[in-house]
Amino acid sequence: MNPSDLRLPLTVITGYLGAGKTTLVNHLLRNAGGRRIMVLVNDFGDIAIDADLIASQDGDSLTLANGCICCSLGGDLYYALTAALDRTPRPDHLLIEASGVADPKRISDIARAEPDLRPDATVALVDAGAFAGQVEDEYIGSSVARQLRSSDLIVINKSDLASSAGLADLQKRIAGLAPAAQQVTSFRGRLSPDILLGRRDFSEEDRSSASSSNEHDVPHEHEDLYVRWSMTTETAFDKARLTAALKDLPAGLLRLKGFVRLRGDEGWALVQVVGRRADLELLKSPPARAGPSTRLSAIGLKGLLEPASLDRLFARR
Amino acid sequence: MQTVVYVARNIITMTPSRPEATHVAVRDGRILAVGSLEEVAGWGDYRLDESFADKVLLPGFVEGHAHMMAGGIWQFTYAGFEDRIAPDGTLWIGAQDIDAVIRRLREAEAALAPEAPLIAWGFDPIFLTSDRLTRKDLDQVTTSRPVAVIHSNFHLMTVNSRALEMAQYDRNSDVEGIARGEDGEPNGELQEMAAMFPIMRRLGIDFRSLARTGESIRAYGKVCQRCGVTTATDLINDLPPEDVDVLTAITGEENYPARLVPVLNAHSAPAAEIVSQALGLRALSSDKLRLGSVKIITDGSIQGFTARMRWPGYFRGPDHGIWNIPPEQLMTTVETLNAAGVHMHVHVNGDEASEVAIEAFARALAKNPNPDHRHVLQHCQLADAAQFRRIRTLGLCVNLFANHLYYFGDKHYELTVGPERAERIDACGTALAEGIPLAIHSDAPVTPMGPLFTAWCAVNRVTVSGRVLGASERICVETALRAVTLGPAYTLHLDHEIGSIEVGKKADFAVLEENPLTVDPMKIRDIAVWGTVLGGKPFPLA
Repeated sequence: MNPSDLRLPLTVITGYLGAGKTTLVNHLLRNAGGRRIMVLVNDFGDIAIDADLIASQDGDSLTLANGCICCSLGGDLYYALTAALDRTPRPDHLLIEASGVADPKRISDIARAEPDLRPDATVALVDAGAFAGQVEDEYIGSSVARQLRSSDLIVINKSDLASSAGLADLQKRIAGLAPAAQQVTSFRGRLSPDILLGRRDFSEEDRSSASSSNEHDVPHEHEDLYVRWSMTTETAFDKARLTAALKDLPAGLLRLKGFVRLRGDEGWALVQVVGRRADLELLKSPPARAGPSTRLSAIGLKGLLEPASLDRLFARR
Repeated sequence: MQTVVYVARNIITMTPSRPEATHVAVRDGRILAVGSLEEVAGWGDYRLDESFADKVLLPGFVEGHAHMMAGGIWQFTYAGFEDRIAPDGTLWIGAQDIDAVIRRLREAEAALAPEAPLIAWGFDPIFLTSDRLTRKDLDQVTTSRPVAVIHSNFHLMTVNSRALEMAQYDRNSDVEGIARGEDGEPNGELQEMAAMFPIMRRLGIDFRSLARTGESIRAYGKVCQRCGVTTATDLINDLPPEDVDVLTAITGEENYPARLVPVLNAHSAPAAEIVSQALGLRALSSDKLRLGSVKIITDGSIQGFTARMRWPGYFRGPDHGIWNIPPEQLMTTVETLNAAGVHMHVHVNGDEASEVAIEAFARALAKNPNPDHRHVLQHCQLADAAQFRRIRTLGLCVNLFANHLYYFGDKHYELTVGPERAERIDACGTALAEGIPLAIHSDAPVTPMGPLFTAWCAVNRVTVSGRVLGASERICVETALRAVTLGPAYTLHLDHEIGSIEVGKKADFAVLEENPLTVDPMKIRDIAVWGTVLGGKPFPLA
């Protein structure tokens, strides 16, 4: 992360009742990997954290020993967001668990508007067993479909309940509703924080260190599901070619991030990809810790993302 | 304590056995007798008070759906089209065109501290025939400090160039809700929460705080007093203990001019916790502060296209229908609260939202019959005749948004729901024909609080353009007055204490200069309010 970028990244978790949002949040708070995450939840009472992990509790706010904070959203988004932004020290990442029927775009749009927030991702959770009934429901079907359309990543949860044929049908159906989103399957909300929030100090890694020392508590079960990739290069990129490359991302890519040195007097750019949504942001000053090289790293689905395809893609400079 | 007998030109009681009288005797803050002087004199010694000899007394009006923010909002500069009187008594002449808005803002700007932002509210482009308000207009006020003009619907604002700069908005900003001019630059108009958020944060526009300070609570009391309201709801409030303490202290003051009914936000915690919070709050009620009811919001607004609509949906425009609570969760929440005997106000705007809420009550009441529940469907603007029949069967109350007929009626006819459904919007006539307990409301500050105006809307159903919207749903003046007195009192479980001028009830009166039953029905909204009497104590405006 660029230390000069003080913006608070915002990830929105969406999904209908029973999709596993709370389980995911509980899992994430236990496996924060050194990040000080602030989570705003709807049902504070459902957050089940072992007592020995809790540093303090004050009303509807829970501070964990690992530096994470969990607060009740309390039905007032404006108040919750301003309080999160005014908090010192500012958390590393803000995660909002939207209500089961909320339009996540109404929340992520705030991060697009607010200069002190950075829209990171919208992640939808889908209950594999209940999805068909929900999307056809006369009352909530449109809300569920809208959540998917607004999402960058769609996590199909409890996929052990679905047969592999059923799962394939479900994936196809979801792709029809949300062609722009990347899908990933998960069991009981056990999704790597790297997928949900992006890697911490992403640009600092190299290809060999798939898991850094401060992430010992991330269960290994994640690791055989994902493939990681990174690249370092001294050669500057042509902005137009880079923009074109970002429109041609390979299958299975979940997240990609890095600082890119551009050719000529364009300076530096921050590139971030979540699912199939790519943002290229020109930086006003060089990233403080990036050194002279362009560094990119990515995580994707094992068996689907071919690391060599990213090598080829970013060879077009 | 001494008995005071008030003589009035006319006393309209809302009591069928004695609908009109000339004298009311008050003892210990309560109504001792109503009738002729001869009749009320039978209770012994009294002092005759003739200050209302040429006035008309009604039961103190009851505003069954409004918000405390209607008081606090006046700390900003009023920039609306219509003349309004601030809680402090200042008359604000309506700004009839953009030049008038600019003049108003310049005056306000001159009085501000050097670093303070200039914030105005109440602006409504619907009434202006000229171009839309833009940042260029506001730059004429000042370019050195930020200016934000909040529109009357609270979903839009127009800001000056300095404010846009603070939010770092420019032609490259990729944010929905930043309106642009033909040159591609932001024109200053910002639509909906996301686009407004950076301005609100930097200028310190915090709607929630507008409802929480002692100053706001006092201002709200004055807003009520100005329009003859003696009991008003604050129809959604988180009610943390420290706020309840402030409310208790302020409403406990002898000079606080209204009874308040703050209603707990059911979305702030899981249903089981809301139950214990509501029951705990009920026990903290005092004479002028009534607690224990809860509010659930199911959908958005019709004019914002966010209400949940059944087939065939919106007439023109996109369907952005949103649930504020999943229907499934509404079912369980309503069941839990009803089982615990907690009284509910449920916001429903679209007819799909009313359908789901009716179903939730049907299931909850089948499991736990609660004959005197008085749960209220709030707004309930698009319920059709069949839904009203079910509402009657279940014993639900409705509080219809009569002010909408005037302010948004044309938009509903032309744009949101189309002619037929617009003509039966806020169907007071149908509700009464079914025998459903009826209240009507302003939802202040969304529209101005004023029960006489609200009654005028239900009686005439005239829109801004002069169209009569659904003549068959009009109700008579007497019924409309009941819908701003005894009707809402019933929906608040307070009809045994307030809402009519009847022996034993609190001596709460609206003191008017004219008789709404005898003036031209189109003039009801113009009747001047002298002030109120609350618990026997006169609260004159002058």
